[in-house]
Amino acid sequence: MPTISFFQKDLEELLGRTAPPEQLESWLPLVKGELKDVTQATGEIRVELQDSNRPDLWSVEGIARQIRIKLQESPLAYPFLHARTKPKRRILVAEGLDQVRPYVAACTATGYTVTEESLAQLIQVQEKLADLYGHKRKTVSVGLYRLPRIHFPVTYGLVKPTEARFTPLGFSEKLTLQEILTVHPKGMEYGSILAGQPLLPLLWDTEGQILSFPPIINSQDIGQVHAGDSDLLVEVTGTDMRMVLLTLNIFATNLADRGAVIEPIEVQYPYDTGWGKSIRTPCDISAVQKIPLKAIESALGLPIDAELVQQTLRAYGYEIKASRHTLAVRLPHYRSDLMHPVDVAEDVAISRGYDSFVPVMPAQFTVGSLSALEMMSDYIREHMVGQGFQEIFSNILLSHEELVERMRLPEDEQVVEVDNVMSQSFSCLRSWILPSLLRVETASPRAFYPHRLFEIGEVAIPDPSHELGSRTTIQLGIVIAHPHANFSEVHTCLDMLMFYLVKDYELEPLNHDSFLNGRAGTILCQGQPVGVIGELHPEVLENWGISVPVSVFELDVDWLCNDSP
Amino acid sequence: MQTTAVYDSLHPLEINLLAAFGQSGDKPVSDSSLQELSQLEPSQVSMALGWLQAKNLVRIDSEVVTAWVELTEVGRRYLADGSPPEWIIRTCRQGAHEGRSFTVKDLQGLNAFPPTELSRAIGLLKKEGAIALGAGGRIEVTETLSPTVEKLYALLHELKKDRRELLSFSPDQQALLRQYAVKRGSAQEPFRIEERIQREYIPTGTGKAVAKRCHAGSTEEVSQLTPDMLKDGSWRSKRFRKYTITLRPPRVAPGRRHPYRDFLDLVKHKLVGMGFQEMRGPLVETEFWDMDALYMPQFHPARAIHDVYFVKTPTHAKAVAEPFLSQVAAAHETGGTTGSSGWGYRYDTERARRLILRSQGTAVSARTLASNPLIPGKYFSMARCFRYDQVDATHATDFFQIEGIVLGEEINFRTLLGLLTIFAKEMAQAQESKFFPAYFPFTEPSVELHVRHPKLGWMELGGAGLFRPEVTQPLGVTVPVIAWGLGLDRMAMVALGIHDIRELFSVDLEKIRTLRGRFA
Repeated sequence: MPTISFFQKDLEELLGRTAPPEQLESWLPLVKGELKDVTQATGEIRVELQDSNRPDLWSVEGIARQIRIKLQESPLAYPFLHARTKPKRRILVAEGLDQVRPYVAACTATGYTVTEESLAQLIQVQEKLADLYGHKRKTVSVGLYRLPRIHFPVTYGLVKPTEARFTPLGFSEKLTLQEILTVHPKGMEYGSILAGQPLLPLLWDTEGQILSFPPIINSQDIGQVHAGDSDLLVEVTGTDMRMVLLTLNIFATNLADRGAVIEPIEVQYPYDTGWGKSIRTPCDISAVQKIPLKAIESALGLPIDAELVQQTLRAYGYEIKASRHTLAVRLPHYRSDLMHPVDVAEDVAISRGYDSFVPVMPAQFTVGSLSALEMMSDYIREHMVGQGFQEIFSNILLSHEELVERMRLPEDEQVVEVDNVMSQSFSCLRSWILPSLLRVETASPRAFYPHRLFEIGEVAIPDPSHELGSRTTIQLGIVIAHPHANFSEVHTCLDMLMFYLVKDYELEPLNHDSFLNGRAGTILCQGQPVGVIGELHPEVLENWGISVPVSVFELDVDWLCNDSP
Repeated sequence: MQTTAVYDSLHPLEINLLAAFGQSGDKPVSDSSLQELSQLEPSQVSMALGWLQAKNLVRIDSEVVTAWVELTEVGRRYLADGSPPEWIIRTCRQGAHEGRSFTVKDLQGLNAFPPTELSRAIGLLKKEGAIALGAGGRIEVTETLSPTVEKLYALLHELKKDRRELLSFSPDQQALLRQYAVKRGSAQEPFRIEERIQREYIPTGTGKAVAKRCHAGSTEEVSQLTPDMLKDGSWRSKRFRKYTITLRPPRVAPGRRHPYRDFLDLVKHKLVGMGFQEMRGPLVETEFWDMDALYMPQFHPARAIHDVYFVKTPTHAKAVAEPFLSQVAAAHETGGTTGSSGWGYRYDTERARRLILRSQGTAVSARTLASNPLIPGKYFSMARCFRYDQVDATHATDFFQIEGIVLGEEINFRTLLGLLTIFAKEMAQAQESKFFPAYFPFTEPSVELHVRHPKLGWMELGGAGLFRPEVTQPLGVTVPVIAWGLGLDRMAMVALGIHDIRELFSVDLEKIRTLRGRFA
């Protein structure tokens, strides 16, 4: 989740008090924040915010707000939510946008002169919200504009890709929307969001000036805010009405916290939004929810007084009315993360402070145990160590080449392959242990001989009859490598293991491309094939770059385990 | 007394050699005689003489330098083809018979000998009057014989078989030999004179005293006690050589568990000791069990193509078991019967079947919740997980997550903190721990556990929380459930002295053989 950076001085101005890093750190649990680093010389602070459902906290304004509420023990007032007068400005949404990018919300912020620092913060929030909360602008994107240049009402409409032309940010000449999608860096980065759309979204004012081409790019002259500007338009578009409204609320609140006067804008839709056709934004987006006090008590594990809960939640920003058994709560307008009473319970705990809870040891009796497979594995591991083998512990993503080609297996040998490969070296789940051990052999010609290695671990075996298309099983692989390694030596190891596992087995001659012909066998238990044994084919050794003979066996531990009484 | 101590310190070779001195009556003995007397190899004799001199038991009595002459390769060629003066006379005579004559240049043109050798031979023959230079520089052979040619001929034949001492030749011959011997600056000569030093050794006073014991039937020294000696009792008359026990012994590679797995074994046994039962799950999982069942919405950023490995074939599982699929879908869409508002989006059941490589151990917990777990119950898994990350010092291609759940009527936020306090003590020997609010999509409240490790100081040990009702209820569990996960790799790495997570799964056998550490 996001890491943001800001200056101590900016935080202190927002808080209206000093906030050295130690002090800040003591407040950070309130916002699930972790102090990443502090640059003493500049006062720059970096904080990671953990909660992906609390985008309101992904800014210095949001962090300061949550701390201020805690310090004053009550929510902050935001008059713009309750303005009585009809908004002066309107945005008109055109037909057809419900099929493209249906929602828009906007407001103005005046009377606050943007500084270099607050501009940097505005841009940081804009990016974090659009990127992480808005799924790389797909669901939500934000635009900031210089208000005095815009003549209302503004239209949010659709145009043909070649119909409209304007100068996008960072360019000096006018481009059509089509051109922006193909040559502008942002067009190339975000163009896929509008892929396949015959008509594209556009914001323009009553004089025909283009504000932006959402969610791609703003216009160079109206859509670029500078330090020193004091009157702004904030606009959010997207595909999810609640998220669009929440994002605008966060922006409006951040600017209000810096001293701007927020004036709502009325947005008129030709279609229903689920929130009506005419919406005044910003607005309250949460309904009052009734929560039984008992739900909080049982989640937290202590009886708690309704009055106390009320105080605690107010000190966390909630609007709340508590009766004896029920809480009527409403989240502040910049939050939208209350899905279940447990969410309120956590906020109570955070507001109170986790350290204020006395831990209680779980008392109910349970019996601990390992799975039969794990116990069998441990038994075999102990035995192999006794036989003088070094245990190996491998990563189990390998390359197709290692699993198949180097082992001289047919090209169509089935293994579980990754679709979105990051590196060919880690593109398949191992289907047997042996290639893992041969990786060690290849890397270790200088380790003195003999090499006696084993690994017991998970492999994935493709199996069309299985619900998941493959089975995860435990297998044992062993490798003996030295100048005189041969079948007889590895056979003895298998024989001893089977003796102590109390398993009867037989070997049946096997033609297997990984092994020297006439020196390989299938291991049979009760007539079932449970493994292979043999001397590796010299070509396999060549493929792996191994320069001593290697004899091996591999055994299905799942089978041995299931077979056990 | 002192001789006994000295005697005890002797190596069998030294004893042998001192005995040889004793046999020759403590007179000076040459190394070649010592070889004969002791029946030792020349290298053994010289080794033992070195040790005895160092112990001041033997000293050098005399040194005689003897010069030996032998033929070189050039000499052997002269013997076969004649020396240069001889050749000149033969060639010129032959030519005279055929009516030809030669100048010095003509002879050089035949390339029989290098020019320098040829000019020296011509100078010699002219000086001895055996040849004269006629008109036009033509060489004429006179009737006078060259004494040098004759003498060289005789010497080459005398040395044909074997080398000889220089002094065995007449002074005249010696002078000639020296003149025609290999020297610095003239390597192409027929003879080589080598000086050999022959030394004679004599025991010192102490040496003589010790030698007496060696002489007087000293016991045989053996290095290894054998079954035969025990059988016939002959060990009684043996002397066992003392070992230098301060040297390091040879290395062997014993059978051994992998050190990282050793660490995981310890954790596993601790968890069993705390009443946890092991659970297991498949490496290839559906998105349903890996994420949907954990109430991670299908649009969650961590579910994108760049975070999870998708399986190529088959792409989808055959089915996801009901009623879990419908119940989880309802929880995502509207909250279903869980008391939640849900995420409010259209749940895609196709997506639920998509196969991936398990990205979190919590998938195993989800499967356990859906399989009638014991109540009260405690479960853990050590699950191999895969994340779509670049491999580096802190990211491996696959890794282990140690996770688990606790189910029971008594479970709440405070018992969660209680459990974490036990983990802090048992897993990190920490007396102090702190709890911080945290975020996981599937728990609420969520906690991060920080502990003061006795060696590592404050560190994050794990994350935990109470499963959201949107997780437990659709899977058929009605009691509260703790979900916890521990991050113990750092403790393992510190104990093993490594700084790169990839080394936990090293393929370098030498590294694996030498990796060691105590966990506990």
